[in-house]
Amino acid sequence: MRLHKKIFKRLILLFMTFWLSGCAHFTKNNLIEEISPITFLSISKGDKGKLKISTILPPLSKEKKIVMSQEVSLLKEGVQKYNLNFYQEIKSGQMRMLVISEELGKDGIMSIINVLLTDPDISLRIYLVIVKGNFEEYLESQLDKDENFDYSFYRMLKHYEEKNQGELTVVNLHEFKNLLYTPYSDPFLPVFKIQEDGVSYEGTALFQDDKLVETISSLDDRIFQLINNDHYLEVLPIPKFEVVLGHVRSKIIVDIDSSYSTMTYTVNIDTRIEEYRGEKQLFDPKELENMKKNIETHLEKQTHELVKKMQELKVDPLQLGVQTKRPFSKPMEEKKWIEMFEKMDIKIKYIINIDSLTDANSKRQNL
Amino acid sequence: MEKKQIESKLVTQSIAESELSIEALKKILVQMDDAEFVEIDISDIRKIHLVYIRTLIDQEKLNESIIKPLTSCSKPSIQDCIVNSSIIPIPTFIEAKKQLFSGSILLFDSSQNLWLAVPLKNPIGRAIESSETETILFGAKDSFSEQVEQNITLIRRRLPIHELKAEKFTVGSLSETSVVLMYIEGLTNPDFVSTVKEKISEINFDLFFDSSQVAAFLEEHQNSIFPQFQQTDRPDVVTYSLELGKITLLVDNTPFALVAPITFFHLFQSPEDYINRWVVASFLRIIRYVSFILSVTLIPFYVALTTHHYQMIPIQTLLVLVDSRSKLPFTPFWEAFIMLIFIEIIKEASLRMPTKTGQTLGVIGGIVIGQAAVEAGFASNVLIVMVGISTIASFLIPNYLMTKANSLIQLMLLIFSSLLGIIGIALGIIAILAHLNSLSSIKQPYFSPVSPFFRKDWIDLFIRGPLVKMMERPEHLKPLKLKRYKTRR
Repeated sequence: MRLHKKIFKRLILLFMTFWLSGCAHFTKNNLIEEISPITFLSISKGDKGKLKISTILPPLSKEKKIVMSQEVSLLKEGVQKYNLNFYQEIKSGQMRMLVISEELGKDGIMSIINVLLTDPDISLRIYLVIVKGNFEEYLESQLDKDENFDYSFYRMLKHYEEKNQGELTVVNLHEFKNLLYTPYSDPFLPVFKIQEDGVSYEGTALFQDDKLVETISSLDDRIFQLINNDHYLEVLPIPKFEVVLGHVRSKIIVDIDSSYSTMTYTVNIDTRIEEYRGEKQLFDPKELENMKKNIETHLEKQTHELVKKMQELKVDPLQLGVQTKRPFSKPMEEKKWIEMFEKMDIKIKYIINIDSLTDANSKRQNL
Repeated sequence: MEKKQIESKLVTQSIAESELSIEALKKILVQMDDAEFVEIDISDIRKIHLVYIRTLIDQEKLNESIIKPLTSCSKPSIQDCIVNSSIIPIPTFIEAKKQLFSGSILLFDSSQNLWLAVPLKNPIGRAIESSETETILFGAKDSFSEQVEQNITLIRRRLPIHELKAEKFTVGSLSETSVVLMYIEGLTNPDFVSTVKEKISEINFDLFFDSSQVAAFLEEHQNSIFPQFQQTDRPDVVTYSLELGKITLLVDNTPFALVAPITFFHLFQSPEDYINRWVVASFLRIIRYVSFILSVTLIPFYVALTTHHYQMIPIQTLLVLVDSRSKLPFTPFWEAFIMLIFIEIIKEASLRMPTKTGQTLGVIGGIVIGQAAVEAGFASNVLIVMVGISTIASFLIPNYLMTKANSLIQLMLLIFSSLLGIIGIALGIIAILAHLNSLSSIKQPYFSPVSPFFRKDWIDLFIRGPLVKMMERPEHLKPLKLKRYKTRR
């Protein structure tokens, strides 16, 4: 009798271990040789408001691959249709990227983001990418050339995400969700362009809530990396002055007046001259000072234009609205902030500190 | 049942009471080819009878120290003639028999009707060699042999103090094996000594040929896979253990001494730990713990990940895994199970094989199990690598008994992991920890100083602290003298 009691107690303990941990008593068949863990999904606009979902199957193996596309009205329906058409079950636990077409981005991607967020299988660290052009066609053309195109693409994003390399915008689902749902902020995503010879980085897509409104590229994108995303640039070429600044690091000081009508946006930059092909004698401190002034004005003008554009589009990816928060006071409503932001006078100021070059040839005075 | 007992009692009584005489001895030594009865005439009227068992005594010494002195001696008493050896008077028949079979020569002086015994044990046996089971590069090389007296010598040389006690017991109704309990009086907790004494007195078995059998009777948890006595054939390990406040049992006819009480963590300590510099020794000790965990969990993790949690595998590894697993006929569990059983077979075979054939085994094991199994599509490359790593890792544990237990834990975790994935491994480890916590070694907790917690003992647990800092003996051994140094006055 005592033995029964003992066994009974132990069984209860065992049962509670599972029950309290929230583990299901049934397990899924996840044998890796029987499943297809897809690494990315590409979503674009299909006919009649449907979604076109594509991926490469089988992923991760050396077998012959195909691009499988399904037109569906719901995201999960697509995955289910894959299963009906492929000999292995599709699993999304290894998903690393979500490629969204530009057109779909303009329509809004809130529902897609929500589906991904609620799926416990999908990691919050998957990268979101906007693509200009027909990605499916490009995939088809790559199948024979590049066996693991998806993997190389993922490695590229991963490389630039870690340690802020200061080259491209990389945003994962978690960051995107935070920017999307946090007051006073708007999300942004990297944009890649399909060209005949490959995929190239185009710039950064700015979102108003979940809708893509603008793509900024070239110098604008560099400035965006510098003042917001990475606060670091490996190189910043300024062709106008035939100069390349290297190891550019920035520190931002934002000051807003009490009436919320003017904002001073000061960018402190530490850098050094990496390359110069102009005629000026940069060893001369005066000439260097002139060059510095020129660069400052140039960057101020460019940044001003960029911020102006943001004001016009009513997007605030720089999270400037956070500056209106004050202790012991109710935060401003986001709508009110955007209205204020539109009209705000934003003054941009650059303070550049260029590491002095060697003084071997400098014309020193008082000698 | 009772009748039998009474009968056997009667028989023993009759032998005990039977008078000690040459005839009585001849009666019991009948049909024993090596039993010798020799008469030496000293004078016309005086004869001395020698009774001995040829194979048990040292025959050269017999001539030197008994026959020669007796024949050339004119003194009336035997005790005065034999001066080189100790002489024990024998009062009873039982005592005579005992002396006879422990390698003594019985002397009977018919004129005085006096029975004496001279111990002349045959010294045949292994010389002191270096240990093969616990090899170390630096440090003392000598190890115990099968003769208990010699083993005591090795310990006494290292601990020349009168507090080192050696109490002798006899166990085994047929083997009459001597078991010597050693401890340092005034240092070792007397509870350990009394516990062991009590248990030894309760032993009721006929034959003991190894100390592990004695341990089996002394252990409190027979069904556990974890050894509760440390077996060692190194006198330095035994001496160090005695100095810490443990007890040691030396068993005759086996080179392995038993040390107790031990904890789970003692199984990971090597004598070399105290020879290496402390930083190096600590590093090596940590490596040993890591490799134990690795050898026990690596393959279960592989099975858990490939059967249940494909999400957790890094994508680079997944690329390799999918590729190497795609053509295999077995599921990861059966693949791992078969490979582990194969490895066990190879391990067992290599123990039994002579060294020369051992090479063939290595080649066959390496090529057949390694390469051919992969090429034939029985096992994946990744698994072979893991089996290799975990097998080598399992050899890092200094205690051989623990190495054997290792494979069983691994198999248990493997089954758990294939059923429930990582939660299965977690449950398995919880079960092992619970079991370890319930164990005891001569009534001392097996998992101390972790649980129950002894903070000061951690200096010699996962790391081996500098010797100058280890000024106190481990508290969990409850020594009577905690300090290891002399207090200055």
